[in-house]
Amino acid sequence: MQVQIQKRLSVTTGVALILLFFFPSCLMAQISNRKPKASDPSEHSFPALGSSTQRKVQVEWNQFYDHAGLGAILARIHKAFPKLTKLYSIGRSVEGRDLWCLEVTAPGETKPERKPGMYIDGNIHGNEVQGSEVVAYTAWYLCHQYGRLEKVTDLLDHYVFYLLPTINPDGRDRWFHHAQNPHTSRSGVRPEDDDRDGLMDEDDVDDLDGDGSITQMRIKDSNGRWKAHPSFPEHLLAPVEADEKGAYTLLGSEGIDNDGDGLVNEDPAGGYDMNRNWAWDWQPNYIQSGAQEYPFSLPETRAIAEFVVAHPNIAAFQSYHNFGGMLLRSPGREGGVMRQPDERILQFIAQRGEKMLPFYRSMIIWKDLYIVWGGEIDWLYAGRGIIGFTSEIWNLRSLTKTNVAPTREEEAAFLKYVLLNDGVVKWKEFDHPTYGKIEIGGTKKEWGRTPVSFLLEEECHRNMAYTLYHADQMPRLSIADVEVEKLGEGLYKVWVTIENSRLIPTRINQDVSNHISPPDIVTLSGPKVKVLSSGRVTDRFFKRVEAVKRRPERVELETISGMSAVRVQFVLSGEGRYAITVDSAKGGMHASEQTLP
Amino acid sequence: MMRRRIEIHCCFSRIFRWLSYGLFLPVTLSGVWALEYPTNKDLAKHLKAAAASQRKVVHVESFLKTPDKTELWFVELGAGKDEERKRRPALLLIAGIEGNDLAGTVSALAWLESLTKGYANDEKIRKLLDTTTIYIFPRLNPAGADSFSAKPKRETLVNNRPVDDDNDGMVDEDGPEDLNNDGLITWMRVEDPAGEYMLDPVEPRLLIKAEKTKGEQGTWRYLSEGRDNDKDEAWNEDGPGGINFNRNFPFNYRFFAPWAGLHQMSEAETRALADFIVAHPNIAVVFTFGSADNLIQTPKGEAPKRPPTAIHEEDVAFYRELGKGWRETLGLKKELSGASEPGAFSDWIYYHRGRLSLAARAWTPALQVELAKSKSGKEAEKPKEEKPKEEKKEKDDKKAKEEAPGPKKEDKTAADQSGDKAPKKAEGDTRNEEERAFLKWIDENAPEAFVAWRSFDHPDFPGKKVEIGGFAPFAKTNPPEERLDELAQKHSTFLTELAGKLPRIAIRKAEAKHLGNSIYDVTIQVENTGYLPTSLAQGNVTREVHPTRVVVKVDEKSILSGTRTTMLGPIEGSGGMKEARWIIHTGQRAKLDVEVISMLAGSVEASIELKQQN
Repeated sequence: MQVQIQKRLSVTTGVALILLFFFPSCLMAQISNRKPKASDPSEHSFPALGSSTQRKVQVEWNQFYDHAGLGAILARIHKAFPKLTKLYSIGRSVEGRDLWCLEVTAPGETKPERKPGMYIDGNIHGNEVQGSEVVAYTAWYLCHQYGRLEKVTDLLDHYVFYLLPTINPDGRDRWFHHAQNPHTSRSGVRPEDDDRDGLMDEDDVDDLDGDGSITQMRIKDSNGRWKAHPSFPEHLLAPVEADEKGAYTLLGSEGIDNDGDGLVNEDPAGGYDMNRNWAWDWQPNYIQSGAQEYPFSLPETRAIAEFVVAHPNIAAFQSYHNFGGMLLRSPGREGGVMRQPDERILQFIAQRGEKMLPFYRSMIIWKDLYIVWGGEIDWLYAGRGIIGFTSEIWNLRSLTKTNVAPTREEEAAFLKYVLLNDGVVKWKEFDHPTYGKIEIGGTKKEWGRTPVSFLLEEECHRNMAYTLYHADQMPRLSIADVEVEKLGEGLYKVWVTIENSRLIPTRINQDVSNHISPPDIVTLSGPKVKVLSSGRVTDRFFKRVEAVKRRPERVELETISGMSAVRVQFVLSGEGRYAITVDSAKGGMHASEQTLP
Repeated sequence: MMRRRIEIHCCFSRIFRWLSYGLFLPVTLSGVWALEYPTNKDLAKHLKAAAASQRKVVHVESFLKTPDKTELWFVELGAGKDEERKRRPALLLIAGIEGNDLAGTVSALAWLESLTKGYANDEKIRKLLDTTTIYIFPRLNPAGADSFSAKPKRETLVNNRPVDDDNDGMVDEDGPEDLNNDGLITWMRVEDPAGEYMLDPVEPRLLIKAEKTKGEQGTWRYLSEGRDNDKDEAWNEDGPGGINFNRNFPFNYRFFAPWAGLHQMSEAETRALADFIVAHPNIAVVFTFGSADNLIQTPKGEAPKRPPTAIHEEDVAFYRELGKGWRETLGLKKELSGASEPGAFSDWIYYHRGRLSLAARAWTPALQVELAKSKSGKEAEKPKEEKPKEEKKEKDDKKAKEEAPGPKKEDKTAADQSGDKAPKKAEGDTRNEEERAFLKWIDENAPEAFVAWRSFDHPDFPGKKVEIGGFAPFAKTNPPEERLDELAQKHSTFLTELAGKLPRIAIRKAEAKHLGNSIYDVTIQVENTGYLPTSLAQGNVTREVHPTRVVVKVDEKSILSGTRTTMLGPIEGSGGMKEARWIIHTGQRAKLDVEVISMLAGSVEASIELKQQN
């Protein structure tokens, strides 16, 4: 605020003098020495919609965390919510890092392993880091919102979540703590002789200028086919026209020929692909590069396989990758397994995802992306009968918020104007042992495949919400109705109606066709009750029943389809109390106590 | 819908066993075990004895302990230190990878015996073991030997791990029982118009599947001996165990197939074996006894596909030649039907690891019948051109799991019409020819291997005619013990020959031509003095067999033309040669050191003297 001092030439100079001194001191009185209290701002916060009001665990969701950081987040969540969570390691990586799993569910009568389970993991590719933040965010959100949001309470009451933020912690930490570019450190770190020269991992990328990122090398070359980009010359090159003289040749990623074989960076740490090491449609390295020696030859993939087999209640899964904004479903290869009824469910769920995640598209891996042999999603679907997706998180269209991929110039403009060049590595001279005088520059490893800070939390929340929608489609069984009819002679006919009020059946088509999980079993028993016959009701109006051949006290159901009801008939004699149970591997265990009239 | 599984269980006569003890015990210790199927304890004893008798070259160790604490043994043969053996070309022998392969283990032991003894008194074998490494896993699945000597005796292919074979939520709840108390798990046939089988019109002790299209009615059910313990109308479909290791490997793996495991490499044993293979890249040839067979008949080849469905066409010739040698050693004058199994270890070795992989059934009824024919002077059926179709075994719910090919459906070869009883069409008569011939041989040579059908009052089939009998456990997959000696000798002979056929590099020429000052034109010629190439075509296609490389031990700066490490392409056997050349500025050096390293063919060093010329 500007104070205008009007000097008056009237009255006395004394008044003027006083005023001269008075006004400034008035001014100074308006700038006092008071300061606000430097208390914790979060104690004075008013939440925007989407997050919890009360935050027992404080986490910044606009940055990434390494393996120890993710572990710390999970540990704090577990400490703050001991009743809702269990925290354990399902195995160890090549370098001995634990694969942490936070199991989240509400306590209650039903044991967690008898609830339908949602399995979520992230970061199978070491450089695809943001998936881990999504998983950690999911854990944080679910715990904080339980009891506050009806939907979250409902989810945790009925389902159990198995949250594994990172399943390639070695690759992840190597991406963070060593110089990399957005694409390197995709692999785990078990040594491999990629170039077949008898040495392993002897020629990795080299951070020649020590800036923590592997950028580009260029050399002045009057026969080169590149020139400095006219608008963004500090880090960008532009291709020249076919008949135009150029100024630079691109030499490739920052590095030197460590093993003297004429190649640069050809045998980095590891060199395989953890997402090609799974047991369905597995093919060896020469057909599917990165597949390793045999399925589950890696401790990480093996640990997860054993975990999934040991948890037959897992009815849905999600695996977070980067990047591209894709909601991917099986099959990974042309001609791979995908059964029609299962595909319809996947497509339906993914369509909801497209609405919740701007610029994300629902895609089939082999058809819309590329061929993948031995991918995690195929084993979980075709080998274990679990409905799930691989999501590629982050799309550059989010930068410009239009459904058109930004041009290189638009990307560079974003870097320059929105990020104020945060992420740009300007060309700098360097004396290279092989190439001589070159320049090194480009963009940092955090640019391109991973979200910028202020959009990272958006990715976390939207992807989480989509996955929660998916989880909410896991079978939801209830014994909806028990109808008893007296037949005389002390006989009763009991019709049990079992409803599945969600989209995913208790056993999907792939499961039923291959007997992956056992059938759902409906039983009726009572201390003074004898079941004489039972069967599945095939037509409830015309009262057609398919009787079981043996052990009438238990009826085996192939599946309980989504959004449908199954009816089972029991004919029994006796009196008094009886119990009906529905035992479904993926639908859970449900019971109802009844008394005969 | 329930899956039904049946396990086979078999046995041998106790009397005969005691006889053989009595007759042969006085002979050397090693001679005894060659004549009988060793228990797991016997096996351990014999292995340790072999190691003790020749410590310099025979190394025996426990490779793995199974979950029920049985040792899996591993033998390594070769002179010198560990590191030296690891660099030499190697042959791997696998036996007992399927529970019912007992004969393979006997042959493995016999071969070990001959090598151990031979090192001391046979020039050829000493040279072999000084230059070649041999790895043997004599019995990868010890469960079969246990059930061979168990009471009752039952034939099994799987390990002991409890598995819910029929996916009913219960594990191993319905195994076979020895209902007639004869100490053997054999077969039951139940007269039932709903049955799929009929009596073989020519040999009514055998059953064949009725073909409705031929107007035949099935009147018998054919099951393994036992009760339907879980009352699901499937008999013995979920017995003790387990997984068959030889269905658990990644090539052509069948998901959800019986005994194949939940997924590839699901067992600690198969993973340990795979890790061993990966850790020993010097293994050039693998020989596996099991139910797959690519030696008795030359396998087909094809132009390479991704993924492949047959041997690479450029590799077929080696299989053909080695198959010929195999058949000759056995005394066969023609090919018999081969066999392939999904998820077999031998296929993983070839198709995914790119090495020569030979697989054979140690013994089959067809082999026995054929050898008996040649012995008795009877002419083999018609022309030598005859090539029976390669059998693909189809999973059969009720039929026994057996090694011999099942009844041929469209065998058009003229067979001897020994059966003139029933007025049948020509095709019907030859349908079960092999089994009939085998039964005939059994009658004459090992009658205890077939138990006569006897009536039995079976509580699961009230009012129905039930008979128990049929082939004894192991009778169709392993020879009578008195045949073992001859068989094992033949196998030994072949294996020793095979071990001598590995690729082997040598330096044919290493010379440095003086060009002036200290500049030399250096040439190295690397030859392969072995029989097999340094890499098969499949080894190149898969990139699993790394190229042979020549390293000239000078710094890069001194090399004016060429590179320090030079990759050579595959070098054919029998004197094939590849050359590498450099122009080197040698400076003050008096000699140049060169090393040639081949993944399968060993490594060799040379030192070239640098002579000045005027």
